Amino acid sequence: MNTLDKNRAAGTPGRQGRAEDNLGPNSEIGRKLKQYYDDLVHDEVPDRFAQLLSQLEHAETSQDKD
Amino acid sequence: MAVSAGFKDELLKSIPSLRAFAVSLSQNVDKADDLVQETLVKAWDKHESFQPGTNLKAWLFTILRNEFYSQMRKRGREVQDSDGIMTARLAVHPAQHGQLDLKDFRSALERLPDDQREAIILIGASGFSYEEAAEICDCAIGTIKSRVSRARTRLQEILKISGEEDFGPDAISTQVMTSPAD
Repeated sequence: MNTLDKNRAAGTPGRQGRAEDNLGPNSEIGRKLKQYYDDLVHDEVPDRFAQLLSQLEHAETSQDKD
Repeated sequence: MAVSAGFKDELLKSIPSLRAFAVSLSQNVDKADDLVQETLVKAWDKHESFQPGTNLKAWLFTILRNEFYSQMRKRGREVQDSDGIMTARLAVHPAQHGQLDLKDFRSALERLPDDQREAIILIGASGFSYEEAAEICDCAIGTIKSRVSRARTRLQEILKISGEEDFGPDAISTQVMTSPAD
């Protein structure tokens, strides 16, 4: 109910939990979806990605020297 | 033109979201991490094509999504591996008190067609608008809406959320486990 009121009051479709999708906090599917996704987002990030970006950055700098 | 420090920072910050989306799409953590790696490399290579001030997250998600489908085409869309097949066969019956196992939910999500899964993830989990999701998926807004709707219905069916219905393959043990007195 609250989400619906907030959405209407805001005048714009809210980004999350829009009532018309039935994916909002009142919907079990919506809640489980977010829980599933949030677990993934908060998962520990392996080092390889930060290392990759550093490598890419380093490669750029090296190219400049050539 | 070199990549700015700010852009590199933004890429770093986006990694958790990218990983979440990649896992949702591929349903495989190893493949997902490879996808994220490819995405970061591509994003770096074409950083000049990104317009500052526009939605970086959507831009990155688009790259990742395109990479996912491109790899699938190259592989000739491999059939579900044996784990996937086993998952599909597992009886996904409602837990006793109306609370879903995340494991069950993940299994159900995996069984959705790719286009429905990605649509419901983008709208219901990643927080994009219909317009953004349509751009990422390169389709009409109406198409996204119908995919989300079908995905939701299908998930409800698989997870038997709406009510008591015939249970999965192991009907006998389920009847024993589920007590009407609850």
